[in-house]
Order: sequence, then C-alpha cells, then structure tokens
Amino acid sequence: MTRPYVPWLLLAVALALAAVYLFPLYWMYITSLKSGSEIFANPPTFWPREADPSVYGAVWSRRTMSTFLWNSTLIAAGVTAITVIFGTGCAYVLARYRNVWVDVGLFAILMLQVLPASVMVTPLFVAFNQFGLLNYPRTAVVLAAAAKAMPFFVVLVRATFMTVPRELEEAALVDGNSRMGAFFSIVLPLARNGILVCAILTFMSSFGEYIYSKSIIQDPSLQPASVGLSGFLGPNSTDWNSIMAYSAIYVTPILAVFVLLQRRIVSGLTSGALK
Amino acid sequence: MTAQIELKNIEKHYGSFHALKNVSLTIDKGSFVALVGPSGCGKSTLLRSIAGLETISSGELSIAGKTMTGVPPRHRDIAMVFQSYALYPHMTVEENLTYSLRLHGVGKAEAKAKAAEVAQTTGLGQLLPRYPRQLSGGQRQRVAMGRAIIRNPKAFLFDEPLSNLDAALRVQMRKEIRALHDRLGATSVYVTHDQIEAMTMADWVVVMRDGIIEQQGRPLDLYDHPVNRFVAGFIGSPAMNFIEGKIASDGRAVNLVGGERIPLARQAEPNQPVVAGLRPEHMKLATGTPTFHFPVGNVESTGSATYLTSADGHLQLVQSERSTVSVGDRVGVEIDPALIHLFDPQSGKRI
Repeated sequence: MTRPYVPWLLLAVALALAAVYLFPLYWMYITSLKSGSEIFANPPTFWPREADPSVYGAVWSRRTMSTFLWNSTLIAAGVTAITVIFGTGCAYVLARYRNVWVDVGLFAILMLQVLPASVMVTPLFVAFNQFGLLNYPRTAVVLAAAAKAMPFFVVLVRATFMTVPRELEEAALVDGNSRMGAFFSIVLPLARNGILVCAILTFMSSFGEYIYSKSIIQDPSLQPASVGLSGFLGPNSTDWNSIMAYSAIYVTPILAVFVLLQRRIVSGLTSGALK
Repeated sequence: MTAQIELKNIEKHYGSFHALKNVSLTIDKGSFVALVGPSGCGKSTLLRSIAGLETISSGELSIAGKTMTGVPPRHRDIAMVFQSYALYPHMTVEENLTYSLRLHGVGKAEAKAKAAEVAQTTGLGQLLPRYPRQLSGGQRQRVAMGRAIIRNPKAFLFDEPLSNLDAALRVQMRKEIRALHDRLGATSVYVTHDQIEAMTMADWVVVMRDGIIEQQGRPLDLYDHPVNRFVAGFIGSPAMNFIEGKIASDGRAVNLVGGERIPLARQAEPNQPVVAGLRPEHMKLATGTPTFHFPVGNVESTGSATYLTSADGHLQLVQSERSTVSVGDRVGVEIDPALIHLFDPQSGKRI
C-alpha cells in the first residue's frame, strides 16, 4: 500500500467507529420523536414521518424529571468538588516529589482504579450503615463516587502538573513568592486547562453514576436520573418514545457542555515557557 | 572590598552522592564571579544553594552579612536568571517583569514605570504587551535579565543563561550582561561550562570539579598559573597539550619519551617523571633550531588562524600566520621555556 492511502484508510476506520458510537445517539433522538406505531415499523424509518415533541413535556412532568436531574446535578457537583479540591493537591505532590512513599502512594491510587464499583458497593454499604451515613444517602453516594473518581483524576492531573516546568516555580520563589503562592499564581494557572478538562470528565461520569446511587438511595425523591431511568425500563416496557425522550433530556445537557468547552480542552497554554 | 556572599565549609549530599565537598568562597561586593567546570561538578548546585533552592547539608552561607542558612529564597533578596529563562508563559512581558515588584507590594503605577525603565535598558521597549511565546530566543533572554534587574537585588545569579542562544547572539549577550553588571554596580555569580564565557566576563573565576573548588583567581592568573593539570586543561582554548617525560639529570630540561628534550627556564628536581604542559598558542613552527618535532595529522585553517594537530592527536598547535604545512609533514616546534608548565604525573599538581 502506498503512503498517501494510509491516512485515508485510517480516517475511514475512525469515521466508522465514530458512527458505531454516534448512531445510538441519533437513534435515541429520532425514536423519541416517533409515534408508537412508527417505532415498530418494518423497515424502520430513519427520519420520523411526523415528529411529535410533545412527549418531552409529558415525560418531564410524569416522571418528575426535575427532581431526578436536580439530584444528579447535586451528586455530580459534590463528587467534582471533592475530587478537584483534594485530587489537585494530591496530584501536585505526586508530580513534584520523588521518593519511596510517593511511589507507594501512586501504586495505591492505581490499585483503587482497578477495583470496580460493583465490588466495592457491598462493603461500602455496610460501612456507611455503621457510620449512620445511610440517613444522608446523597452524601454517602457523593463520598463513594468521589473515591471512585479520584484515581482517574489524580493520574491525569499529575501528568498535567508534570508538564509545568519546575523552573517556573523556582523563578517565582526567587522572585519573592512562597511555595503556596507560587503554586497558586504560577502552577495552577498553567495547569488550569488540564484540571478543567479532568473536572468536566469527572462531572460527566458522575452525572451518569448508577451503581452506588441504585444501591444506597432508596427514597425516589433523592435518586438521580440514572436510577430514575432504570425504574422506567422493565421487561415489558413498550413506551419507547418516552424512554428515549427521558434519555435525550438526560444526555443533552452533558453533550452541550462538552461541545461548548471543547475549545478549552484543545487550546494549549504552556507553549513558550522554555527556550 | 566587602564580602557580599560568603560560603564557609558548605557540604551538600543527595542521598549517597556528595555534591559539594567543603566549599568555601567569598564573593566581593560588586564583583563578577564565574563558577566554571564540567557538567556534574557541582557549580549549579552551589548556585542553587546560594539562591536557597537547595538546602545545604552543613556549612554556613551568608548574604550581605546575614546568615541565610535555612532562609527561604524569597527572603534572600537575590535574583536569578535560569538557563531556560523560566518566563511565566501566562503573563505578558510587563507582567513578567513586574511580578516580583507586585509580590513586594510596589504600587501599580510605580511598577509600570519601573518596567518601562527596565524595558528601555534591556531593549524591550515595544515588547511589553507581548507574551513570552511571541518572542525570539534573544528577546526571551532579555526579559529574563530584565526580570532580575528590576528590583535591585543583593546579588544576581546566572545559571548558564546563554547556552540556549546561537553562537553570534551569545557573544553579543556576553558583552551586554557584563556591561549591565558594570552599570548597575551589582554583584553577580555566573555559572557556565564554557571557560571562554568565564574568562571574558568574570573578574574572578572559580574552577570546580567533583564538588570541590580546584582553583580560584583572576582569569589571567588561572591561565598563567594553573595549580593542577585539570585547571590547566580546562582553562584556555584550544586545550593545553600534555607531554609525558622525565626531568634531565641536570634539572634544566624535560627529556621526552622519543629522545628529544625541551629546555626549561628554571631548575627542576632532576630525574623525576613529569607531565609538561604546553599551550597550543605558545608553540611556534621553528624558524631556528626546533625544540622538538611531531608529524602532522590534520591541518585546519579558519583564515585568521591555523590549527595543526599531530598524527596521534595528542598535540595541537595554533599559529596566526598562514602555513604551507600539509598532512604527513614532520614539523619542528619551538617554545619559550618560560611558558612551559610542569605537573606531577600522579597527583596532577603543578611543580
């Protein structure tokens, strides 16, 4: 194969893979707009014959989606706040110091990443029960999910901190700043993009958190949208356009946020620091 | 002269690595001191210790009469120019320059005026609103310098500031840094691995190797009277030639292995083995009776000078006249006996 064809081939593969991932999204949106009979039509239609958006309003009020989404937002915000505040400090230390304890810490953090939520949920449930945390189920979920989100955040933000040259901090120290001041005025602004990206990813993944919420939160008025959706789905469910409308309402805000912040994610700020 | 920076018996260990071994050094107020040596000799560690970026394991360090052991960098009132310049990429040139002023509580208007003044001195006038990534290497270098001079520190520390520049710019910046030093009447400590920078810029050169100070002194004293073979080989370019031999029985000459003899200007202890040090620029192609001969292995001409290298690569000779010598010739060489250095072959010490 000659060289110019390789990029085209790779592009085609990439597009095909993207289509595999994006098709369900497309299907979700069009199904939500179809009527009940059209959904089951064979051959299926790829564009709704008569788009009917009224299902959105109906689902919103019938399924008390405002409560569910509020709970999801609350949980995701809590998880993100805890992860960003503690994870950033942790990542910085792991990026700047090199000794045996740092290596042990890094190893422990990677180990945490390996443990799946479905394994951890039972011991966590028992422990939270002992501490009386189950009386505050959303707080309990935030703690559990933050612990789950932390390793991923720490590892990625650590890599970001490692791209900030140490000499910049030293220059700030010599210029008259304290360790703390140098961190906040030099290192943090330069690592801002990386931290922001990781925070967004953390927010988005905990917005969809399911396992801990499902197990720990019994009261429907405190459950997040992910658990609310599962209550909607049953072995005999046929109300597909409502389910798809629910999903669309759930997913669209996250998608919008991602699209809006994408530029941020791409832009690089550190260039020109050295040489 | 009063001492601006004083180091007494400084020791530095990194785990089992002994980076600085009993280093004592006095840096006078207003002087330009170069720390020079091969990489890994401890010169940068010493500089960073003065800045407070490294803690010293033991010893005493004082700046302007105040003991600085354990004092954080921000309370030492020193400025440093880093090899990578370490400009803050998220700040404009002006913000970079005024960063330290803002930290020290200087008012906005005053800081702005100061920045404009420094920009004038360093030739950065039009560049104040730019970001470091929009500057060329030389301009970044100037910003780094400007950031150091803006607040009148007790000492300037330079950590190989010119090594990222191309050769022509390096020569120019060398002069500018020295001129700036003289104008400000500052005390400067300059780390470099380039002995030419050290020789041309400094009033006082400190040659280091393996964590110890091998020799310190005025540049030409180091050139004329190196205390050992290492300093002799390190100072001067091209490097000094070393020839093994033995002092003749009358003590007035060095007998070379090949049977030739190089006369000495002074009496040396007879019959001891020595290493004779001959600077390439002191050796001349003989017009009268040659002192010794070597076969030419390589001839390089730069126009202003001709470099002859012996066939075994151990000897080099520089002459400013054009030469008709070609590869394979056996040339006769003469040298002023007063310019010959003798070293002990074992210890390397000057005899």
